[in-house]
Amino acid sequence: MSEQSAPPPCPRPCFACLYQPPMLNDSASSALRLAEYNLAQGIPSLSRGAGSARSALDLVSIAQEFSPRYQRHRDDLVTVDVRGLERLLGPPRVIAPEIRREAADRGARVHVAIAGTQTAAMVLALANPGIIVIDPGDESAALSQLSISLLDKIPQDDPNDSTNAIAVFKRWGLRTLGELGALPAADLAARLGRRGVIWQAIARGEDLGPLVPDLPEERFESTLELEWPIEELEPLSFVLTRLLEPLSIRLERRDRGAAVLHVTLRLVTAEVYARRLELPTPMRDVRTLRTLALLDLESHPPSAGIDRVTVAIDPTPGQVLQHKLFTRAHATPEQLSTLLARLGALMGQDRIGAPATIDSYRPGAFEMKVFATEHRGAEDLAVSRGRESTLEAEVRSAEGCQLVSALRRCRQPVPARVAVVDGRPVRVTSDRRSFPGGSVLACTGPWRTSGNWWNTGSGGSVRSEQTCLTCWNRDEWDVSLSDGAVYRIFQDRETDRWFIDAIVD
Amino acid sequence: MPLRHASRADLESLLRARQLDRTLTTSLPPLDPHDEYAIGPTSVTALDAALGGGFPRGQLSEIVGARSSGRASAMLRMMAAATGRGELVALVDVLDMLDVESAAHAGVDLSRLLWIRGHVVTHPGLCADMNQRAMEQAVRALTLVLQAGTMGLVVFDAGEAPLEALRRLPFTTWLRLQRMVEGRETICVLVGREPMARSSAGLTLHVTHPAHGVGIRFNGRLFDGLACAARVLRARARDREDASATFSTLAREHV
Repeated sequence: MSEQSAPPPCPRPCFACLYQPPMLNDSASSALRLAEYNLAQGIPSLSRGAGSARSALDLVSIAQEFSPRYQRHRDDLVTVDVRGLERLLGPPRVIAPEIRREAADRGARVHVAIAGTQTAAMVLALANPGIIVIDPGDESAALSQLSISLLDKIPQDDPNDSTNAIAVFKRWGLRTLGELGALPAADLAARLGRRGVIWQAIARGEDLGPLVPDLPEERFESTLELEWPIEELEPLSFVLTRLLEPLSIRLERRDRGAAVLHVTLRLVTAEVYARRLELPTPMRDVRTLRTLALLDLESHPPSAGIDRVTVAIDPTPGQVLQHKLFTRAHATPEQLSTLLARLGALMGQDRIGAPATIDSYRPGAFEMKVFATEHRGAEDLAVSRGRESTLEAEVRSAEGCQLVSALRRCRQPVPARVAVVDGRPVRVTSDRRSFPGGSVLACTGPWRTSGNWWNTGSGGSVRSEQTCLTCWNRDEWDVSLSDGAVYRIFQDRETDRWFIDAIVD
Repeated sequence: MPLRHASRADLESLLRARQLDRTLTTSLPPLDPHDEYAIGPTSVTALDAALGGGFPRGQLSEIVGARSSGRASAMLRMMAAATGRGELVALVDVLDMLDVESAAHAGVDLSRLLWIRGHVVTHPGLCADMNQRAMEQAVRALTLVLQAGTMGLVVFDAGEAPLEALRRLPFTTWLRLQRMVEGRETICVLVGREPMARSSAGLTLHVTHPAHGVGIRFNGRLFDGLACAARVLRARARDREDASATFSTLAREHV
């Protein structure tokens, strides 16, 4: 007859708290005290000196040696969830000395307390030097004889809160945590509110919340050493795919996206060639990342063959794009990023973007902005437009009947020859084959405009080249020519030369 | 089958078998003017009425006409309508001539406009083929945008480009672009002086003045705007061919 084994019992909560007390500032006396302390405690001599500055790092690294579930309350106070370590190390009475030995190896002198609750472990670690282990269920009794002043050392948002509370408790004649824990909770709440109940729970060693583990920021990096150097980008794309695929899977598991992509290439000349791509939106699609990296390397190729490729990703919280059922699907940020990278590689980064008007009277003034990869949907746009006033809607409706006369700007104004009679242009021609010109059928003007003249050079007498490019002083005319075209021409008042500035179309 | 004996139906069936029926000149049934997945309205009532609701999606359309005929005004109006619908718009500006203020004044949501500025060499000197290269580069940019398929409206503005440069582009260019845009919800519009895509074109709109010299309005000391007449030269929906409309533009005041 077979005997069915019962499932293993769920291990009871068990927390270890590590507290590193402050040390003297003088390093010699500190080392002496530490040596005396270690001798008294039977701890082997320390391999390196302890310093309060690195206490946080030390405590966290000690905690990481025992469990990934730890919470750092302060630089000198860390709680570790040691539940389940029995099978690996033994009972709590063995775990505590192990933790202390590990700390000593790292040059840290710590108090270690193990209890069934985080709060009890923390209070005991703050109160007792050395090691103390409490059996589960004995937390309240273990804390009962401790001084009520210990509450002042408990981490909290408002340091004055505990000072005020302790003063109140002392006025009531309370001296120990046990006396505070024995008070009727309802009466305490009536006098001190919710904070009173919290203080009492701490005095009883009860947990106020679960342990919230601090997770170290994971490093997303992958490297591949190549047996033969790579000279071209095509084989590099396979290497990048191989490196990016596992990184993408890890990003997905952590619900992260790539904010910055670092591609570091070690060249055969022993030179390290690094590229950094700031991505416009968090993404983890392998094809997109590979394409962006390749396009960037295409624009900025390395100077020699590559014998090691490293890809590192700066993670950021991931982004989920939810399309709607009844509206047209929008382009995803990944698609737009890839398109922009391809266009940038083809045309140059300065030739693509979103135009924007600027606050200037300079004719044809504009600026280029980076084209956003995230846009509001049509529905959101309709909602925001719905907030427009009735008047604006009427204006929009009226404009719907008539188009705005558009201009086509000549970025470099075309030099023209203009015959003027009675102060008005009568014939416009140019040397350009594409601007044959003709006699003027009708014209309006002049419209005088000038600007940026106040930024002339020293005393207004000398103009720098840059200033000459940005200041203007002109008379503009709109002319209709016999060839059927309408131009905006201007006469530069500084040089009296004529130019074709734009075509009305 | 000898070609001379092939009937029109046979030819069409052969084209259909090679999936070329939509690419070439086969006529298509009229599109539902209220189907926003098939038509992109221009928001100009007369023009939309002539076009059967607007410009068709998934086809290579054209706006052609002489200089100062109102092509750019119509183009900006289309872009304003598209951005108003929440779509993204790409403008391949072959000669880098977009006037940003005009676009903003026409109502284009500039944040939704991807402006791709062509490289123009004003004085090419001995490198006479520089502008041809710029044209080819602009066509490659247009290809990338259409391949991505992320835009609601893609405009290729070659309105002031030299005709020789356009004519030197292989005819297969437009065929390839038409194949790219087919089946997508993208409106692709070529703007030029004369029809470029020829048989690959879905809809060709010719813009001109109602009569020579009377389309340009001057009101006293002010240039008032243009009076324009538009006629559909070619359309896949045959019933739209020769449809015409008139519209006018209003000049902005000088500042």
